[in-house]
Amino acid sequence: MKERLMEILSDIRPDVDFESETALIDDNILESFDIIELVSRLNAEFDIEISPKDLTADNFNSASAMESLVASLQEDED
Amino acid sequence: MEKNVLEWLEAKALEHADKTVYEDMTESLSFGDLIDEAKSIGSALASKELSGKPVAVMMKRSVHTISAYLGVVYSGRAYAPIDITQPASRIARQLATLDPDAVISDDDAQTDVSPAKLMTFSSLVSCKKDEAELQRIRSRMTDDEPLYIIFTSGSSGRPKGVVTSHHSLMCYIRAYADMMEISEDDRFCAQAPLDYIAAIRDIYLPLLRGAYTFICPKEYFMQPGVLFDIMNEKQITCVGWSTSALCVLSKLNALKEEPPAYLKKICFSGSVMPSSVLRGWQESLKEARFVNQYGPTEVTASCTYHKLDHVAEEDEKIPVGIPYEGYRVFLLGDDDKEVMTGGLGEICIAGPAVALGYYNDPVQTEKAFVQNPLNPSYREIIYRTGDIGRFREDGILEFHGRRDRQIKHMGHRVELDEIESAAVALDGVEEAAALYDSDKETLWLFYIGASEEREVIRGLREKIPGFMVPRKVKKAEDLPRLANGKTDMVRLNAMMKEGA
Repeated sequence: MKERLMEILSDIRPDVDFESETALIDDNILESFDIIELVSRLNAEFDIEISPKDLTADNFNSASAMESLVASLQEDED
Repeated sequence: MEKNVLEWLEAKALEHADKTVYEDMTESLSFGDLIDEAKSIGSALASKELSGKPVAVMMKRSVHTISAYLGVVYSGRAYAPIDITQPASRIARQLATLDPDAVISDDDAQTDVSPAKLMTFSSLVSCKKDEAELQRIRSRMTDDEPLYIIFTSGSSGRPKGVVTSHHSLMCYIRAYADMMEISEDDRFCAQAPLDYIAAIRDIYLPLLRGAYTFICPKEYFMQPGVLFDIMNEKQITCVGWSTSALCVLSKLNALKEEPPAYLKKICFSGSVMPSSVLRGWQESLKEARFVNQYGPTEVTASCTYHKLDHVAEEDEKIPVGIPYEGYRVFLLGDDDKEVMTGGLGEICIAGPAVALGYYNDPVQTEKAFVQNPLNPSYREIIYRTGDIGRFREDGILEFHGRRDRQIKHMGHRVELDEIESAAVALDGVEEAAALYDSDKETLWLFYIGASEEREVIRGLREKIPGFMVPRKVKKAEDLPRLANGKTDMVRLNAMMKEGA
């Protein structure tokens, strides 16, 4: 999953180092249209539904936080 | 009638000195605090040996940034807000156009500005107030003097600084406050960056009516739950947001949540509102009033408004409405004759809200701020928007796109030419063409050159703000050509629509 996530991220924002950034939202690195695209691609790619309540800085500040979010939503599905 | 915005502040500071006027995530200012800070800054600037040139303000999103703006006004000068989040090269071009007397920064700011001009906020705000000097400055000021200089995208890559007078600002803010029936009980939630034209409502409405503004963090606008929670906590009653902010929240399914409980008045502007998005908001906030607003920075934010009187229907085009009090709006045809009801023409604006021009840029000023072609008898400057409009039988104005290559993207005004000139300035890009897919709200760039697509994106991020960097960047062997060798934009547009 990590690999596919990193692919999507670097596709949306090739200029950002997603391995090291830990304040993608709080430092305004990701912009609102990045998030729109990201949410729709994560939903499609991992067959999940990210709800408005999941859209928090804590869940999107780093690639590993996003990975945990996707994993927890996939568990809910099962 | 007042002739200086500071008179609004002074009246409200007398009326309720202890009431909070601005609040951000860490600090708040009462009307009393605000006037103290502004007067100290004004006195400090007045005590220095400076010419009468503008003062740039390069500060983060905070209540003190507004104190700095008003402090500059107390010193008898115009303030020029500079977006500190944009690339350094663009800041440098804005400062070069401005040639400011001084630059006010946060204490911890990292900038390339020469130290002689740089002044920190804390060094200014700690100065003693010199009431006599401030009074002397005020007594010599007139209401047609510049209040602020706000930068917008320029087609050649040269930023355009729109100069606006006290009189124009007061004309617009009064008209807006009347239209939206703003009272001292209203509580605003600021979405726009403080350097952006839309912020003038969040800054000046509280001064006119004694209301309150919460300066909301930018990142909350992509966290719908967090945003709505804080709007409830701050009991927000009224917002003036970009159409794009409402669209983003709607796309992030914000309207599946309980909407903000106190919100009663919503004004949106900046780009065409899709009827489906508006309908969603109207159905979510059934009791709220919705207003569409239209107009450029050059006529002090807006010139027309349209109060929605029904829930938007599928594919309904939302008109831009009727002129605000104090604005004259009319259409000119290609022959410079007036276009009457039913016809398409360029939207032109006359009246006291027309800006003074572009700072240090007579060439661009003369192109857009022109003698009214309908008036051969005396000097009357109008602003030609470059937008196309049509008046309906009932006198309501509709928006029908642009004459040139300016687009509206994510609430920002963008000149496609500025993107192209930034691209060709990169190593490894020979030629570039920028386009906008308005249906998908996506910027495209086709280019010829040795650079790889990712390198071009990285390069652009160092030259232009993030919202201007195209999402789709395509390298091409050659661009489609017309017989004369120019780029065939129609074919390129078709390539874009096909997904290239």
